[in-house]
Amino acid sequence: MRQVAIYGKGGIGKSTTTQNLTVGLGEKGKKVMIVGCDPKADSTRLILGGLAQRSVLDTIREEGEEVDLENILKTGVFGIRCVESGGPEPGVGCAGRGIITSINMLEELGAYTEDLDYVFYDVLGDVVCGGFAMPIREGKAQEIYIVASGEMMALYAANNICKGIQKYAISGGTRLGGIICNSRKVDGEKELLEAFAKELGSQLIYFVPRDNVVQRAEINKKTVIDFDPSHAQADVYRGLATAVDENDMFVIPKPMRQERLEEILMEHGILDI
Amino acid sequence: MAINLRRSEAVIREKRLRSVVGYQGTVKDLANKAQSGCLKNAQRGFSQAINCSSGCAQGHLSTILDAAIVNHAPIGCAADVAGANSGFKWGQNIRNWEKRNVRIINTNMTEGATVFGGGKLLREGIREAYRRFNPKAIFVTTSCASGIIGDDVESILKEEEEDLGIPVVPVFCEGFRSQIWATGFDAAFHALLTRIVKPPEKKRPELVNVINFTASAREYVKEIFEKLGLVPQFGIPYSTIDQISRMSEAGATISICGTLGGYMGNGLEQKFGVPYVTALQPHGISGIDNWLRSLGKVLGKEKEVEEYIAEQKILTEPELDEIKSKLKGKRVVVGMGPSFSHNYIRLLEDFGMEVVWGLAWHFDSKHDHGGLPHCTMELAKKERDIPVSVSDQQNHEVLNLLNKLKPDIYIGRHPGLSVWATKMGIPTIMISDEYSAFGYKGTIDFGYRIIDALTNNSLARNLSKRIKLPYTDWWFEQEPFEFLMDEELNKNAASS
Repeated sequence: MRQVAIYGKGGIGKSTTTQNLTVGLGEKGKKVMIVGCDPKADSTRLILGGLAQRSVLDTIREEGEEVDLENILKTGVFGIRCVESGGPEPGVGCAGRGIITSINMLEELGAYTEDLDYVFYDVLGDVVCGGFAMPIREGKAQEIYIVASGEMMALYAANNICKGIQKYAISGGTRLGGIICNSRKVDGEKELLEAFAKELGSQLIYFVPRDNVVQRAEINKKTVIDFDPSHAQADVYRGLATAVDENDMFVIPKPMRQERLEEILMEHGILDI
Repeated sequence: MAINLRRSEAVIREKRLRSVVGYQGTVKDLANKAQSGCLKNAQRGFSQAINCSSGCAQGHLSTILDAAIVNHAPIGCAADVAGANSGFKWGQNIRNWEKRNVRIINTNMTEGATVFGGGKLLREGIREAYRRFNPKAIFVTTSCASGIIGDDVESILKEEEEDLGIPVVPVFCEGFRSQIWATGFDAAFHALLTRIVKPPEKKRPELVNVINFTASAREYVKEIFEKLGLVPQFGIPYSTIDQISRMSEAGATISICGTLGGYMGNGLEQKFGVPYVTALQPHGISGIDNWLRSLGKVLGKEKEVEEYIAEQKILTEPELDEIKSKLKGKRVVVGMGPSFSHNYIRLLEDFGMEVVWGLAWHFDSKHDHGGLPHCTMELAKKERDIPVSVSDQQNHEVLNLLNKLKPDIYIGRHPGLSVWATKMGIPTIMISDEYSAFGYKGTIDFGYRIIDALTNNSLARNLSKRIKLPYTDWWFEQEPFEFLMDEELNKNAASS
């Protein structure tokens, strides 16, 4: 079983990318589970065809600690199993602790079955506290992919996430598998991301071009492969799934200083006018 | 730095008073470093046990007769209620009251509460406290758990206060904020100063707020104050919310303990113009003289004070001489909170004893009035430089030290340590009553108590023969402050 965590700046498209990627894996016959680690609980909407699921924490809140796995684990397209950690209402309690609580609960309930090929953790924007690092602690996700774009703040967040990974990589053995570019069509994006990934000691594992079909599929509560299997963008996600499935480059990232990050941006991110 | 009463939480002692819990050296060096602002906290590589400041906060507030406490915390945080309860019962006992328990409710925060927020539990706790105890005020003490998850305690309390029609007051005493448990006293006083004490309706210049713990010597204090034309009002324990709300009417505030009373005294001075008398503690002859003279000076009672002192000196001289002749040269180790420790060192030295080591459970580089604590300043003036250390009751340090120094007697103020000195065969006195050695009478009584303890030492002798100490021979061969890191090591620890 490969356990994979997806991180990246808020709004970069982690959930969209994760779901399209896992459907690509599902189509190949891989057995996949997605654990949504975002209090908004919207990491599995495209697999389940809507927000059809009660989160682990909602269930605990309403029914107490005696929770049945079938109440919180739903199966969607290509047999992908979906769990949403959920969280407290905004501004109250501790969402980070919530993730720890719900992952512990999933382990106790035996959600991690032997037949699974992949478990994906789709984690909230940034590793803001210990709770959001739970998926990459000892015994959890061994590989991490960061979704980024050529925008400055996305790279800044990605670099910051690498600091968190570095810490857990040394103590727990988790590794960075690569950067996934979810394109925003900014200048020199691919080259910039390649240079950025190289500086981290990693790779740009896949470049996902921007296409409106992703948006149309989302409106229909579907992933692209499910919505329009013959579309070119569906092949893009199949390609991403293959890249992840065949990936053999796992590194301890070397996060860079702010100055170096800005240098790379100047070097690659601005086209000659 | 003046006390900031506009904020809802007290600034911790480490920041406000530059307080430390790790130091070893001499009293002159300690005073010198504190005064020049160079005193640094020496960290420990090994720490045996420390205390949580919430204990001081809720322990003190729970002795207010018509108040209730809601401890917004996991149930483990309520462990120190047992200590608060036994102290509260002792105070009721010496008043010949029918005894009852302290009124503390714990909200029992569990994992769910830390995820979803503890607001609901807190509201239930407040309602339950109101239903069970019908209090005049409810104090809500916070905890690490409620602090870390950011429960909006203030807003919830405000709403509950509007509904219940009594003050529902937050007391911010999260354990992680301060290493110094006396910060909890400040948190308690901060709550009283900001929310309970009201502006004076009328001034009562003869009234003196006496900040203390159990107030065992009420009659004796009244007797002395009467001669000065003054009336003591003891607090905070065993007072009512109404009495506390009128502390602003008093002519002055004075405290039995500098560590305890500074925040309340200075706060009352700052907010309501009630002068706070800073003085030596009234333990021992030089202590009571300075305490009363300082009080007399503030309230224009110098003449009465001098008359009282002159009269007492004549009355007590023969007995004091006898005590001094018996105690001369006896070697003593003192272990108490900072103010008690440095005041008792003076008193024991005045008896002619040799204080071979003075331990304080923390040390404030300054008090809220701005200067070095008077008791420390006074000791630093003495010819002999007394060895001292600061440790938050690290028993391993103290037992090692006692084993090397082998004093004639150990005088402490806390049972957790005093009992170990006894087990080592050292006659021990534990001063749980803050009015031990108070005034002329108390000083004489205390002198005899030491003589008795030295004479009748069979308990310590027999106990030590039958006890195996928990430390290895290896530890007793080490230096007592082996685990107290020096400045160089501290720097390295801070940078790593």
